[in-house]
Amino acid sequence: MHQDSVKTSQSSADDLITAQQLFCERDDRVLFSNLEFSLRRGQVLQIKGSNGTGKTTLLRIICGLNQGYEGELNWQGEPMAEHLESFYGELLYIGHRVGVNKVLTPLENLRWSAGLQGPVSEEQLYQALADVGLRGFEESACGSLSAGQQQRVALARLLLSPATLWALDEPFTTLDVSGVALLEKLLAEHAGRGGAVLVTTHHALQVPDLKVLNLG
Amino acid sequence: MVETAAQTSTAQAFLATLKRDLLIAYKRKNDMVNPFMFFLIVATLFPIGISPEPERLSEIAAGVLWISALLASLLAMDNLYRADYEDGSLEQLLLSPHPLYFMVLAKNIAHWLVSGLPVVLVSPLIAYMLSLPEGSFGVLFLTLLLGTPVLSLLGSIGVALTVGLGSRGLILAMITLPMCVPVLIAGTLAVEQTQNGASLMGFLAIEAAMLLAALTLAPLASAAALRISVN
Amino acid sequence: MWTWFHRLGSPKWFYEISGRWLPWLTAAMLLFLAVGVVWALLFVPQDYQQGLTNRIMYVHVPVASISLAFFPMMAVAGTVSLVWKMKLADMVVKVAAPLGAWFTALALASGSIWGIDTWGTWWVWDGRLTSLLLQFFLLIGMISLRSALEDGDAAAKACALFSIVGSINVVVIKYSVDWWNTLHQPATNFTADPSQPNGPEIWVPLLLMVIAVYLFFIISVILSTRNEILYRERRAQWVEELVSQS
Repeated sequence: MHQDSVKTSQSSADDLITAQQLFCERDDRVLFSNLEFSLRRGQVLQIKGSNGTGKTTLLRIICGLNQGYEGELNWQGEPMAEHLESFYGELLYIGHRVGVNKVLTPLENLRWSAGLQGPVSEEQLYQALADVGLRGFEESACGSLSAGQQQRVALARLLLSPATLWALDEPFTTLDVSGVALLEKLLAEHAGRGGAVLVTTHHALQVPDLKVLNLG
Repeated sequence: MVETAAQTSTAQAFLATLKRDLLIAYKRKNDMVNPFMFFLIVATLFPIGISPEPERLSEIAAGVLWISALLASLLAMDNLYRADYEDGSLEQLLLSPHPLYFMVLAKNIAHWLVSGLPVVLVSPLIAYMLSLPEGSFGVLFLTLLLGTPVLSLLGSIGVALTVGLGSRGLILAMITLPMCVPVLIAGTLAVEQTQNGASLMGFLAIEAAMLLAALTLAPLASAAALRISVN
Repeated sequence: MWTWFHRLGSPKWFYEISGRWLPWLTAAMLLFLAVGVVWALLFVPQDYQQGLTNRIMYVHVPVASISLAFFPMMAVAGTVSLVWKMKLADMVVKVAAPLGAWFTALALASGSIWGIDTWGTWWVWDGRLTSLLLQFFLLIGMISLRSALEDGDAAAKACALFSIVGSINVVVIKYSVDWWNTLHQPATNFTADPSQPNGPEIWVPLLLMVIAVYLFFIISVILSTRNEILYRERRAQWVEELVSQS
């Protein structure tokens, strides 16, 4: 219901996303109201809150997966709903359900993601899988991998996608210590390159230029 | 990592989705074979339940084949979006920068190739077993070829509307089967009327018109329904 | 802005304004109904072929013509609900489905009662009856879709979409069933056609009945929409005041 450490001092053209007076209720319960925040290139915005405060809902609202809200959402200063195509061209979303088909192998899953987002070479696919620690698992069906490994398959998309904005829903839950460190490194690198990250988590993130949005 | 935002073209995304769905179907052979077997079994039940006499069978053969194809298509439908919904791939599809219309179309085409086409291909055999007059084999084959994609496209709307539901089998049947009636009518009438000497072209034109209308409109409705269901 | 306006403004406004219409509509309906029923049942000359049974026409025709209006109405309301996110429109879609199912069932029942005298059987695969039956199935499917989707907003959108798809389909079904029917049984397209009654002594009472049933339909939609408004706005202050007054 309130925000801390977020001050939109300059509503500059750098702002990728600005939200004003967001309001959402579910089952006659107000999840949040008057929510305001902005996200610039180079920033990591952590959405925090106890269970049931609407972290995932907020993330899905921003990504356009949930339309049950009121208020203003802007993408690069323009109403988001009218610029979905350019927004989706720069968005990479990894939800609670990570979007990894269990019948296909990690390689085949990534090939499809690449087909939707940006073309990559076969070497890049192998390299990405190696980078997320899945060397040797390229050709196993994802159903035979552990939850953490499936999460890592999804993380490999971060390495391949041309997207500016990453929206990650609880990406740390199934990762082990090395996976957490890897993801933190990826987030920091992405922000350092001028990308932006939206992430819901309870995890104490160790990244520079971190903004926290607390939903209570 | 790739800094220059090089995007795939919609055609590439369409092909990637088509390939992926065909690959999944190939790896899950059960999903591919079951609707086909179901079609054979349902078609077999009619002679047993009604009569083995060739004269009576030949009268109902076209209808039996069409109804069996309709039920098989309905049964196969459930696979269309469910796995993608459950593992989150559907969200990836909705959030791709490409028009959802083409992505849905790719999935529908893949689905028809896997579940509809085999039924069409085997239909002459079943038609023979059901004593369909020989002159009607070609008509039946052509109408099924034009009609079963319409069933897939219409069914896709129903599946997209109900994909988030726990128990959706019966609801899916209730909302899609009545919608498929025009296709059933056109298909069975074509077989029956050409036996009475009517020209085939008229019926094919009507079926082709239905297919074109379904190709243009149904994926739009499916896409809208998917956006609603993934909420 | 608009969503906000509709959210708060519309249902309350509709509740108040419809409350003022209702007595007039009811009075008009009762008047038309009374005159129509008495005229149709007591004063219309008997049909020389069908005798007294023909009087079922005065129920069947109005009810059947109303049933055909449901899908177009739901499609319009559904479009409004999807495009402008107007809650009132969604309520109309919601209440129209069960009402439509009832009217369609009534049309089917009165049709088959008529059929027993005209065709000598309760059911004939007549074009009109068949497409009404299919429409009935679609309406039942819509009701179960709504009840299965628990989330109010998703259910509203899904049903709005389905009402649009369904109404396109109902038209296609109607034409294809007519086509099917004419090719199958050219013989049964006979006397039952009520669009060419003999003279004013037949069609004036029919017109009165049609108006009465249309009014009944409007009143039913208004009443169940008001019900729905009260339920959905049960936490709004004006509803609480309304309840505490009564």
